[in-house]
Amino acid sequence: MTKLNLIESFVFLVFVSVMTLVGNLVGFHNGIIESIPGMLVLLLLCVAGVATNKFIFKKIPSVLFVITYGVIISLPAFPYSAEVNAAVAKVNFLALTTPILAYAGIAIGKDLASFKKTGWRIVVVSIFVMISTYVASAAIAQAVLKYMGDI
Amino acid sequence: MSDAVKNVKLHLIVLGMIVAAELIGIIAFKVGPGKLVLLPMFYAMFMGIFMGPKFTKIFNEKEMTQASTLVGLTLLLLMARYGTLVGPKFNEILKAGPALILQEFGNIATAIVGVPLAIYLGLKRESIGAAHSIAREPNVALIGDIYGLDSAEGRGVMGVYICGTVFGTIFFGLMASFMAAYHIFHPYALAMASGVGSASMMTASIGSLSAAYPELAENIQAFGVASNTLSGIDGVYMSLILALPISNKLYTYLYKLKYKTSEGNV
Repeated sequence: MTKLNLIESFVFLVFVSVMTLVGNLVGFHNGIIESIPGMLVLLLLCVAGVATNKFIFKKIPSVLFVITYGVIISLPAFPYSAEVNAAVAKVNFLALTTPILAYAGIAIGKDLASFKKTGWRIVVVSIFVMISTYVASAAIAQAVLKYMGDI
Repeated sequence: MSDAVKNVKLHLIVLGMIVAAELIGIIAFKVGPGKLVLLPMFYAMFMGIFMGPKFTKIFNEKEMTQASTLVGLTLLLLMARYGTLVGPKFNEILKAGPALILQEFGNIATAIVGVPLAIYLGLKRESIGAAHSIAREPNVALIGDIYGLDSAEGRGVMGVYICGTVFGTIFFGLMASFMAAYHIFHPYALAMASGVGSASMMTASIGSLSAAYPELAENIQAFGVASNTLSGIDGVYMSLILALPISNKLYTYLYKLKYKTSEGNV
């Protein structure tokens, strides 16, 4: 994957933010003006995450920083977290997923042939992935709860 | 400035797709104990697939490649939102106890079961993306960041992500009903297992469990939400530090076993 530089990333993230604001209005009836502060917070978190990855910890993916920064600024003890959380809540979670899948859909078109080839196998793997995480987590929780005498 | 960012036609058409998808809105069907939910993101994805040279020819190969270089960045905004969902609940999660924390390690089972299965079925490096986790948004973002979503690993993770998004809710609902009906595990254990990092899967599982054990419903719901939030926090770390290295090791070992040669020599 060709990596974009910080400026290019920023410009593109602004485009996606605008698209999200529009989707957020059309699909979830959150006004554009009232959603702008929350969108700006998300945009800044992303820029901070990308910058950390580009300039400080080059080996660690930016996703990790973006999530971590998001957790930190929304912690109840963090200054202005109540205001930040209220602003961010205006940006519907699902409105953020639509642009992703729109770009992903266009990109998938390119790999359609290989998707067809692997398709049914991926479906089988998905089913086993879902069963295995559920059963293994339940087994561990069961053992610990039994050991602690909670059940 | 990169060509992908400068391609105004691409961005304007995507904007049009988003508006169309959001106008259709969320459609939910009740199926057995769960719900089959169609979200605007699916419509946007299908519209995207049909923009390619094989169908409507709106985008050419080059533009499709440009779109794939941008997907990873679009995910970041969602990840930022994800982080802000977790922060406010942090204190409650700390209180939730050892069972809740230790069951998170059960999520590694996807790699131990999934990678061998995927290789047995003939998948190559798609196995790693597909089976290293349950492939929710943070895992997709992570794979996108490390391998690129246009790589084999990226195709694997996207495939499981899409299956999970389409059938996951109904599947988790059915699985919870089945396990509850056969008393295989205590409902609290199942509640904690429900949180895999997907609000809709968790909701379906918790819904089924609450219906099966109405007298325990409140605790079941609290454990489910806490576990899901916990997966939200640790999911991406768990993938990066444990699941992904385990998947890679397993893959290299099993690849040699099956094809009698290491991957580099093919």
